[in-house]
Amino acid sequence: MKVVNLLAVVEAEKCKGCRTCERVCPVLAIKVVNRKAVVDAARCRGCAACEQRCPDYAITMAKRDEPVVVAVSTEGLDYAQVVDLCRRARLHPEQIVCYCTATRAEEVAAAILRGARSPEEVSFMTGARTGCKVECIQPILRLLEAAGVTPAPPKGGWQWYGRTPTVWEIPEGVKQKYTGRGFYFDEDIKLLNRVIEAPLQGGSDS
Amino acid sequence: MRPPIPPIPPRKSQYGIDPSLVKKRVCELPGMTSVLLKDLFPDLPEVIYPGGEGVAAVRRATEEALRKVDMSRIKPEHSVNILASHHGFTLLGGEPYAEMLKTIKDVVEARTGCKNIRLRAGVGLRFRETEEYIKRFGLDEYFHGKAAGVAPIDEGIPIETEIGTLYGIKKVYDADWIIHAHNSDVREVHFHRQVDRAVKPFGMSYARIETRSTYHQNLGPRAANFTARAIFDSPFVQSKFAFACFLMVAPNGIMGVDADNDLYALNDRVTYLGCRYYGKMMTLFGEIDECIVALDFPCPVVYVFSAGVIYANFAGANTDLYDLDNPLPGYTWYTEAFYGKRGRPLLDDVPPLNPAIKMCVHNYAWTGYPSAFFSEHIPTVVVGWEQAELFNRDPQNLNYMKHAVVAETTEAAMEFAYKVTGTRKVLIFDGAIGGINLSEPLAEFLLKKAPAVSERVENELLPKWLRQRGVDLSHLKQ
Ligand code: SF4
Ligand code: SF4
Repeated sequence: MKVVNLLAVVEAEKCKGCRTCERVCPVLAIKVVNRKAVVDAARCRGCAACEQRCPDYAITMAKRDEPVVVAVSTEGLDYAQVVDLCRRARLHPEQIVCYCTATRAEEVAAAILRGARSPEEVSFMTGARTGCKVECIQPILRLLEAAGVTPAPPKGGWQWYGRTPTVWEIPEGVKQKYTGRGFYFDEDIKLLNRVIEAPLQGGSDS
Repeated sequence: MRPPIPPIPPRKSQYGIDPSLVKKRVCELPGMTSVLLKDLFPDLPEVIYPGGEGVAAVRRATEEALRKVDMSRIKPEHSVNILASHHGFTLLGGEPYAEMLKTIKDVVEARTGCKNIRLRAGVGLRFRETEEYIKRFGLDEYFHGKAAGVAPIDEGIPIETEIGTLYGIKKVYDADWIIHAHNSDVREVHFHRQVDRAVKPFGMSYARIETRSTYHQNLGPRAANFTARAIFDSPFVQSKFAFACFLMVAPNGIMGVDADNDLYALNDRVTYLGCRYYGKMMTLFGEIDECIVALDFPCPVVYVFSAGVIYANFAGANTDLYDLDNPLPGYTWYTEAFYGKRGRPLLDDVPPLNPAIKMCVHNYAWTGYPSAFFSEHIPTVVVGWEQAELFNRDPQNLNYMKHAVVAETTEAAMEFAYKVTGTRKVLIFDGAIGGINLSEPLAEFLLKKAPAVSERVENELLPKWLRQRGVDLSHLKQ
C-alpha cells in the first residue's frame, strides 16, 4: 500500500527530450512526445526517479492536492493461493519486500493473482518499488517467476534487466571455495527457510 | 568535564532542511560535555587528520602510498575511471576524501602520462548526492568536466560471475581501467558484518538495482556481501581493475592512506583495523544501559554518527554485530523484513532494536533512506515542522512521521525526552571529531566501562572475529 502524495511535473522549456526519465520510470508514466517529456498524472506513483535523474533538472515533484491510495487487497482471493505463491518464491507472505512502502509479499502476490504480468504493473498496482527504486526488484521478479510469468524488460528502458541468483542457487563449489572467509551460505539458507515456514500473524497491518 | 566538541555544521542539500532552520545543536544545551576517544581507548592510532597540516597531510600520504603501486599497465592513450562513493564525502567534512581523489588523479597522470582520467562517483539511495559533492569540492573543474555522479538506476551492463549474471552501472566500467578509491570507515556493519568491507562498493555504489536487491533480498544476512566479491572476481572486472587506494579511517580520525594492486590484501588490513578500533567502540556502546539518542548530523537518519558508530549500528548494539555466530542484528533490512503484520517478528529469536534507546530526538538528519522502521520501534521526536514536512515529501519515508511526534524547538524536544524517559544519559550523533558529545552522566559511565571493554575486545572478541573472517595475518605485517 502506498499513499501517493507527489506528482512529477515537467518544465517544458528545460526539457531536451533525452528520454532518461522515460527509461527510469518504474511504472512507465512519463514519455517523450514531440521531443518533450509528458507525465501521465493518473499513472505517476510519485517516486521521483525521473526528477533525480533528469540531466537538465527539468522535473520537480509537486505535492498532490488529493493523495491517491494504491493498494491490492488479498480479500476476495483464495488466501491459500497467496501463501502458496509466496512460498514458491521462497518468501513469507507477511515478509516486507519493499522497505520504503512497507509492502508485504502477500500484496505483490495478490497483484499477480489479480493479473499483474510485469514489475511495472506490480509497482503501478501496489506502489512497491516507488520509494528508493533500488532494493525490491528481486522479490518482485521472484514472485512473478513463481507464478509462471516471464516478463520482458521494457524495450530500450533501464527499469530492470533480469532476475539474479538467490542463496539457494549458490553452487556447492563456490560455497566450498569461500568457506572460512566469513560467508555463511548454508546457515543463511536455514534461517530464511525458518522464516518462510513461520506461522502467519494475520490481522490488520501494523 | 570538557566542553562539547564543535559538531559538523549543517550542510545545504536537497535531502535536508535548510541549514538556517537548524537553530540549535543538541551539544549546545546545558549539561552536555565531551569525552576524547583517546581517553576511552588510549591505544587508538595516531591520526594525520585532523592535524596541523590540514589536507596537505592526506595528499602526502596518498603520494607515499601510491609509490608501491604498479601502474605500468596504464598507457598514455588509455582511459581511467577513478571510482568514488558518497560515503567518503561524509567523513570529517569530506575534504580529506576529495583531496585523496585529486591526488590519485595527479599521481596517475604524472606516472603514466595518461590524460583521460575521469571521476565516477556512486551513491546510496540519494541519486544526486555525489553531484552535490562534486560541485562542493570543485571536482568537476579538477577533472576537466569529466566528473559524474552515477546512480543504480542508470544504464546497466551484465557482468558474468561465478554465481550467475549480476549487473553493474555502465558508466562505472566505460574506461580501460578502474581505480577503486574508497575508505576503511566501517559504517554499515549490520549489512556487511565486516566481511569484505573493502570490496563492498562493487556490489553497492558501483552496481545496478538488480545487484543491490540481490544483496538485500536474495542472499541472507551473512552471505549478502558475497555479491560484491562475485562481481569483483569476475573476469570482466578483473580485466579492468588497476588498483585500490583507501583513506584509512579510525573512530578518531584519518590514520593514513593505503594502496594496493591486491584488493584482498588491503581488505585484510581493513578488516583488522575495523574489528579492532570500531569493534571496541561498538562494544562500549553496547554496554550503555539506557539513554536518549540525539540525531544531529547532515546525512540520513541511519548514518548520523558518533565516534565512527552510525545510529543504525547503535540501534543494533544489543547484539555483537562483529560476531558472525549471531545471524541477525536488531536492525538490518533482513531483520526489518521479518516483522509480520502484527508488528512482531516472525521468529522468536529475532533480536529487538537496542532496548537501551529510550527515545530518539531527531534534531537534524536527512531524508533519502527508508527510516520508518526506526520511528516505528523507537519513540522519536522530530524538531521542527519543516523537517517533518520534508520527510512527508520523501518517497522513501512516507511512513516516518506516522510514528514520530514533532517538537517546535530542540530545547522542548529534549525536555520532553528527559521527562518521559527519566534518564539523563544522552548520546549525541553529531560527527564530533576526535571525541563524543554527550551528557555528563553518560560520559562518566563510558569512562568507567572503557578499560574492561578494551581488554575483552583484545583478548577475547578480536581473535574470534578475525578467526571467523579467515584474516591472513601476513598481510597485516605489510
Ligand atoms: S530526463 Fe529531463 S531532459 Fe530528458 S526527456 Fe526527461 S524531462 Fe526531458
Ligand atoms: S512514477 Fe516516478 S519516474 Fe514515473 S513519472 Fe512519476 S515520479 Fe517520475
